[in-house]
Amino acid sequence: MTQREHEGSGPSRRRVLMGLGVGVAGAFTAQGADAASAPLVNDAPHGDAVTAAQSVPFYGVHQAGIITPRPASGILVAFDLAITGLDEFERMLRELTERAVFLTQGGAVPERDPRLPPSDSGLLGPEIAPDNQTITIALGDGLFERFDWLRPHKPAHLQRMVQFHNDALAADQCHGDMTIQFCANLQDTNIHALRDIMKNLSEFLVIRWMQEGDVPPVVPAPDGSTPSARNFLGFRDGSANPDSNDATLMDQIVWADSGEPDWARGGSYQVVRLIRNFVERWDRTPLREQERDFGRRKMSGAPLDGGPQASEHDVPDYARDPDGAATPLDSHIRLANPRTPETQKNLILRRAYNYFNGVTRNGQLDQGLLFICYQADLDAGFITVQNRLKGELMEEYFKPFGGGYFYALPGVAGPGDYLGARLINAARSL
Amino acid sequence: MVAHYLKTTALALAFAAGMGGHVMAAEPSLDLVGPLSEYKLYVAENTAQLVTDTAAFVAAIKAGDVEKAKSLFAPTRMSYERVEPIAELFSDLDGSIDARADDYEQAEQDADFTGFHRIEYGLWVEGKTDAIQGYADQLLKDVTELDSRINGLTFPPEVVVGGAAALMEEVAATKISGEEDRYSRTDLWDFDANFAGSEKIYDLLKPLIADKDADFVKKTDANFKAVDEVLAKYKKDVGYVSYVELTDADRTVLSTKVNTLAEDLSTLRGMLGLN
Repeated sequence: MTQREHEGSGPSRRRVLMGLGVGVAGAFTAQGADAASAPLVNDAPHGDAVTAAQSVPFYGVHQAGIITPRPASGILVAFDLAITGLDEFERMLRELTERAVFLTQGGAVPERDPRLPPSDSGLLGPEIAPDNQTITIALGDGLFERFDWLRPHKPAHLQRMVQFHNDALAADQCHGDMTIQFCANLQDTNIHALRDIMKNLSEFLVIRWMQEGDVPPVVPAPDGSTPSARNFLGFRDGSANPDSNDATLMDQIVWADSGEPDWARGGSYQVVRLIRNFVERWDRTPLREQERDFGRRKMSGAPLDGGPQASEHDVPDYARDPDGAATPLDSHIRLANPRTPETQKNLILRRAYNYFNGVTRNGQLDQGLLFICYQADLDAGFITVQNRLKGELMEEYFKPFGGGYFYALPGVAGPGDYLGARLINAARSL
Repeated sequence: MVAHYLKTTALALAFAAGMGGHVMAAEPSLDLVGPLSEYKLYVAENTAQLVTDTAAFVAAIKAGDVEKAKSLFAPTRMSYERVEPIAELFSDLDGSIDARADDYEQAEQDADFTGFHRIEYGLWVEGKTDAIQGYADQLLKDVTELDSRINGLTFPPEVVVGGAAALMEEVAATKISGEEDRYSRTDLWDFDANFAGSEKIYDLLKPLIADKDADFVKKTDANFKAVDEVLAKYKKDVGYVSYVELTDADRTVLSTKVNTLAEDLSTLRGMLGLN
């Protein structure tokens, strides 16, 4: 709508309201008050200048988007790369770094002669707000395996995802040479970044599959803490996630170090799983059974051995419940994390989004979890946990159908450095 | 003299404005006259060939010779696919000649679905010619009409120059997945023709841009060459093997080249000062 139309419609709307004797007519006594307080049917929802200005530093030992707080919107895109040699790979990584710096830190869009296609999609206007944008790059097993000059540098635990017990993998929704995880406050910010990268790096990459998702904002609890967001099964998701502000813990659980090639230190194994939830059937399951299957109270997220005041952050005491009388032995949380000293090394950092893809051919809702997690050791982390989950009670309510294993590159130190520089140098020196 | 003046002025203007690496012409150059008339000739040759080839294709169908008609299907289409940016200016004929089943709610069963792909469906899926006699007659009528309309057409410069990118957009958006010739799997023939048609326009314009933006020419030449190299692997006799033999890796390469050519060639109009 143009400004002129906007101004033109104001008075007529006012007249109508006044003629109807609407009680708020007093608000329209001044033209200014009209413009400020009388929203029109097609006014944009109000943005938030504070959240739009939020930015996550791009430079650092580690990439952003892994232990940095998860904003509301995410897109995980897996690409096939058309690179043939090391020089081309380096050029791609340098250009990708350049785009990621701009897109995450924001700034003015360069202008071009109007006879040319514009350099930017324009989705965010002439000035890109950072909006908490992170862009996280990870490389797949297939890429390392394809080139003689990359294979010797493959991270120690990187491998091709294999089908687990309850999976029904779709070939075109699995694997890929590289993933980019886009996270931001608004999905439009992610879409803008994706389109920018596809436009500027079209000679290197083609999308293989992608999944967008979001996580609902949660009102803080009275004590100031933030409860975990709910997944599409209605349960709080990630209650037992390790503390991402605990640097020592993150070094143990998330950041790969010993046992990895030098170039890879400071990176992390990224697991992506596309998991459909059978929500109609789940919603037709008795609450008590849902809670037994999951191992937590649905509304509070508290463990099942807690009292009425228990919270999701209480730790279940499995030692006092060896037979699973309170928390069944084959409930999700007990299998995933038995909370024994030996299973500490299997902890992972979850960073999931809920996805909604419309409807299936059967007329059921196609929704579920865009599961993303990070860990220092893929075998000890996700793979061990997933194998432990074999036969869990909840299996009949969800179906993993895609995803893959990737290695999130170490961070970029500062201007002049670029994503994967140490990998390129290692490959050159061999 | 005039052309030289335009060129140098354009250069000076472009450098003064600092247009992000793109060297812009101040206004459509008189130099376009030559390439435009050469392109018109190219299109005329192709549409004449299309009429000749379609006549033979239709004759095979009328004779009930399924195998012969099948063998003529892909080569007949090529002259259409080469000049698609111009052919598409007549949307009534383009729909009637080259629509796909997806363009209709009832898909293959839709009464309005006609042209090459309805005939393709008849030959490969139905395996007979009796149901497609009417479509064959209509096709010959349509391509003859197209030929005569194109011969009377003044080519809009922006359509010709923009056609190089438009052909790549077509491939990128609706062909790379192999959906065009889904019954016959002769998609690679179409790819060849689309690339050839795009490269023809680019080649005709190249002299106008070679001295302005050498990097653009170098990159675009290399991308067309890379496409040729991929397609060359799949050549067989006078044409191509089935699309199903295209490997995922080669499809990825073709896809990146198509998209990059579309990106780069989309700047041609502006570079030549066209709106």
